[in-house]
Amino acid sequence: MNPFTALENFLERPEMLAEEPRPAGLGRTGLLGYFAGTLGLFAALRMFSAVPPGIMSFAVVLLFVLALNYFLASSIHLFMDFTGARGGAGALFLAFGYTDYFLALLVPLTFFAKLEVLNGFLWFCLCFLLVVYARVRLIRGLYPVSANKALLSLCLPYAALGAVGFMAFVYSIAWLVWLVV
Amino acid sequence: MEEQNIGGAAGPGARPPEAQPAPAAARRGAALWLKIIAALYVLSLLAAYAVIGKADAARKLKPKDLDISKFAGLGKEKKDAVAVIPLYGAISQGESTRSWERGSQQLARRIKTMAAKKEVKAIVLDINSPGGTVGAVQEIYSAVLKAKAETKKPFIARFGEVSASGGYYVAAACDQIVSHPGTITGSIGVIFSVGNFEGLMKKIGYKSEAIKSGKFKDIGSMTREMTPDERRLLQAMIDDSYEQFVKAVSDGRKMPAEQVKLLADGRIYTGRQAKEAGLVDMLGDLQDAVDKAGELGGLGKNPRVLSDTDPFENLFSLIDTKLSSFGTKSLVDAVDTAPSLEYRWYGR
Repeated sequence: MNPFTALENFLERPEMLAEEPRPAGLGRTGLLGYFAGTLGLFAALRMFSAVPPGIMSFAVVLLFVLALNYFLASSIHLFMDFTGARGGAGALFLAFGYTDYFLALLVPLTFFAKLEVLNGFLWFCLCFLLVVYARVRLIRGLYPVSANKALLSLCLPYAALGAVGFMAFVYSIAWLVWLVV
Repeated sequence: MEEQNIGGAAGPGARPPEAQPAPAAARRGAALWLKIIAALYVLSLLAAYAVIGKADAARKLKPKDLDISKFAGLGKEKKDAVAVIPLYGAISQGESTRSWERGSQQLARRIKTMAAKKEVKAIVLDINSPGGTVGAVQEIYSAVLKAKAETKKPFIARFGEVSASGGYYVAAACDQIVSHPGTITGSIGVIFSVGNFEGLMKKIGYKSEAIKSGKFKDIGSMTREMTPDERRLLQAMIDDSYEQFVKAVSDGRKMPAEQVKLLADGRIYTGRQAKEAGLVDMLGDLQDAVDKAGELGGLGKNPRVLSDTDPFENLFSLIDTKLSSFGTKSLVDAVDTAPSLEYRWYGR
């Protein structure tokens, strides 16, 4: 199954991802989504000179995106499992890959942002929200949960990361104060 | 009702004849759209990387295109500045692996780096030091001389509260010296001091013996009296180092060595006395020194100042200081009485 056919099938029936055995080509297309999305994200970041050039730099960004999504998928699956909703973590991880195709939008949007036609930050946020919306829809497709619970499960890992980051920030400030005083 | 009838007529499980072509057409439409979107994405990526490539190439060429210093009258760029390098506290070697330490190696490297910067037109050494070990002082002195010879940039020494002995030695390499009227300076000379714990050792019943290959091998030992031969040898070393100091002052201040020797009996001077004696060029504060550097560097008065401070190095230095206070380093430093040859004033 070529990626276009796989994408068509997926758009038609997202729950196919959770089927056993999984139809051929669906997994590969999900991973291709990560690659295509990261390529778009990397191009956008390069246009803002936010990342260094080179294959290695792209590989680092791709690795980061994969690791982050792996963490998100596993924590969401854990949350769902604890709350009694049955589904597959692997399917969820691949589904997130499909949502990353939306990051391809960042390339033309960044073009317009650099031409000062659009507000870059605003469009980046809208693109991010689009990805979040698609993920909520997919979570609902893969787990029998309500939209609110799907949104909650998606936000929880971000909230946890934010809390850890905030705690580290507070402790580092306290440590600096201790160093100075 | 009509639909039901038609369905009933066709029999159970039969589909309406137009039901099959509709999804197939929709699928073909979706496939077409996906291919169009993919093609647009590839095109936008190609365009993006073409633009990025051009921007990177332009960035690489930028310094050449904008090198306005080639044109007469435009030599003074906006970002031209006077660098201020602090030299505070006793001067010692420091550990070369700790870039945040203010040892002589690190200072020499900073002087070299700052002097090599294109935008730096003059350098002010902000000295507030009673001097230090001979080797460390000479390392900084040598770095200043080399930087001057390589870059032809003017160096100004600015004296703070105390700039004596080794602090003055470093300043002697500079083109001009600016001092406060009340700065303690001078103390041109060398010192080698060694403690003697022999009496204390006897009291506590501790005896130290040295098996040596030559009679001078344990010179400077703190467990016995110094012998007359050792004293003579050390005096010869002190005299040699003293001659080096006198030569440095004589060369730097364009003063005959005999005249320097008259001033160099180890005495200290106030900034004003030093100016009268010709050891200092002008009285003033840091701003006066920066202004002087600006004038000599062709930037005029009140030039932009490039401070030699790195926030990361300051942070590491702070952490190092705090952590070392937990360990035995401070204790070891406190009891470290190993004798050494020093250009240092111990009046503080």
